[in-house]
Amino acid sequence: MSDAQLEARHLSRHFVVRTGHGLVRPKKVVRAVDDVSLSLHARRVTAVVGESGSGKSVLARMLARIVTPTSGELVLDGVTIPPNTPRSLAYTSEVQLVLQDPFASINPVHAIRHSLERPLAIHGTPKAEIEERASAALARVSLEPPERYLSRYPHELSGGQLQRVSIARALCVNPKVLLADEPISMLDVSVRLGVLNLLRGLCDNEQLAILYITHDIASARYIADETIVMYAGQVVERSEGTALIDAPSHPYTQLLISSVPDPSDPLRQAPEIEDRTGQGQFPTEGCRFAPRCPHAMEVCRTTAPPLIEVASGHESRCWLYEDVAKVAITTRGQGGTISTT
Amino acid sequence: MTKEAMTPDETTTENDTVLEIEDFSVDYGWGDSAVRAVNNVTLSVRRSRVLGVAGESGSGKSTLVYAVTRLLRSPGVIAGGRARLTFDDPSSGDAKRRTVDLLAASASELRSIRWSQVSIVLQSALNALNPVLRIGHEFDEVLKTHRREMTKAQRRARAAELLELVGLNEDRLARFPHELSGGQRQRIMIALALALDPQLVIMDEPTTALDVVTQREIVNELAQLRARFGFSMIFITHDLSLLVELADDIAVMYAGNVVEWAPASDLYNTPRHPYTLGLLNSSPPLSGERRELVGIAGSPPDLSQPLSGCSFHARCPFAMERCASEVPVLRELDESGRKVACWLHETPATVPGALRRRVPAVAVEDPSSESTKEVAS
Repeated sequence: MSDAQLEARHLSRHFVVRTGHGLVRPKKVVRAVDDVSLSLHARRVTAVVGESGSGKSVLARMLARIVTPTSGELVLDGVTIPPNTPRSLAYTSEVQLVLQDPFASINPVHAIRHSLERPLAIHGTPKAEIEERASAALARVSLEPPERYLSRYPHELSGGQLQRVSIARALCVNPKVLLADEPISMLDVSVRLGVLNLLRGLCDNEQLAILYITHDIASARYIADETIVMYAGQVVERSEGTALIDAPSHPYTQLLISSVPDPSDPLRQAPEIEDRTGQGQFPTEGCRFAPRCPHAMEVCRTTAPPLIEVASGHESRCWLYEDVAKVAITTRGQGGTISTT
Repeated sequence: MTKEAMTPDETTTENDTVLEIEDFSVDYGWGDSAVRAVNNVTLSVRRSRVLGVAGESGSGKSTLVYAVTRLLRSPGVIAGGRARLTFDDPSSGDAKRRTVDLLAASASELRSIRWSQVSIVLQSALNALNPVLRIGHEFDEVLKTHRREMTKAQRRARAAELLELVGLNEDRLARFPHELSGGQRQRIMIALALALDPQLVIMDEPTTALDVVTQREIVNELAQLRARFGFSMIFITHDLSLLVELADDIAVMYAGNVVEWAPASDLYNTPRHPYTLGLLNSSPPLSGERRELVGIAGSPPDLSQPLSGCSFHARCPFAMERCASEVPVLRELDESGRKVACWLHETPATVPGALRRRVPAVAVEDPSSESTKEVAS
């Protein structure tokens, strides 16, 4: 495998919030992202799956250097980015972000031309080349002929077309890394696959490294070369390919997968639903998933588990795998549960 | 309301309709600038059953239910059709069925029907709950208006009982909406909708904004509540695979038209309309081999531009010449009363293999692999 285009090492972001009422409100630290490491490689799609509040968007924003990490470092093309320096043009020309809602992320009062040409001008493209490169970017996302789209306004385009414009805008400065934060969740079901196939094609044909953030685990399975599941700011499971979807080891991943409506699998067991009265409050000690976990043990409530290798290229943050030999892992087909033998 | 009133109705096993919608059309705007958002829709909801309405944004699914329940605001105009609600009239004593023409009903008649017979759960629970009122106030207001005989203590007890039904603690009554999670707010909306024991509950994308785990919890809870109280339900969503699990019948809408209406499992296993097939192929599966899917080419039509022929023909891989000029009507196929609006089914020769399947099969053929010419000949 080639060297990483962009690497995140032990990235954390903590937010301080005030809780309660009155004049003296105690401070509370929300660990939105806690010690996440990942690397993005050319020609690979890395999918990050998690529910809202799992920290996946904060992670993307840190990788785009919009949010400053509390700790940890970013390594772009082998060079460590000095912390506490402003985001540079050199960085944004390599790493670009595509946002979730194309209706909100493209300026509605300007024609598409403006949205594409502005980043080019900012990045110092000679005036003579700007129009040509904007057209080329539209062609790369299959909006052809480009002339037809350049003079259109956002309200004249459908959601799928707008999201393609949004991707074209990110591509026009020729970045090496594309961070896509829920790029299909606001789109109509029938056009989602088109955008996913476009991302896959860009990755394969143009050597892009793509981070694909989603809450839809089925779409991650469709596109990913590496899959990461986040829960409460931490990576709870990661695997090469989609091994963690086909054979989930972490109880949270199992819950996530069994919750997806899948009529093609009628024999699937209904998921075990735990009481969620403490929802939104993650324990400060031990495993963050322990209060909802059907397999929680004593150690889970006191000590936070590390990422443990459960198979080649497949890690899980769960004490159940501390001694893999002692544990019989039964996969989804047999009910999606773990039994300690 | 007392506990006895909440036991399931004896008559719920009867196979009759609660809501009947016929040739229903809705426009936005007037005269030349009118946009047809719902076009000649005929649907019915059977007693104690779930009708799922699937469609993309702009397909008219929400407009349809708002118009039918007379909640549609200007510039929405009901351009034609009939909508009848049949319910057990509590005021007539001997549980006699009463039918009300919803489009002819007076304001006071509608007022007596709304919430007590038909209630709606809206998509965004954060916007549907008043942010400056405590949750308890919302319950109190409903019960005060519709159940005047109840005392304050009774109302409070009923509110607590309703919260318990949806798995929430009574202490939530004193909370404000912003203190609750999305799933809890949506549960409160469901509890509110059930407050007066309605016979029909309309759910407009109740789980779209929620995480998949929370969605699963709410769907499971709805199933339990329905088993207990036997209300009918219209469930609107863009997620067809969720409907297959939840609904008895599914109507698929596209550009204001119902293009297919069939029992849920039939629709899933043997789709008959190319759009239904395309929708089913648009969701990557969670199991099985990983391979490239095609989805549906193009994007949904702009309804403000005049459409000719079938609204789907521009994106349809099987489109024939006649599809571009003649509008197909929803008509019954030979088997099991399922309905489809598609010219391909006019003669057996034109039905492509992908829309002819009989046995339940998980593998789905790629519609783009068959050329249009072959299909048309």
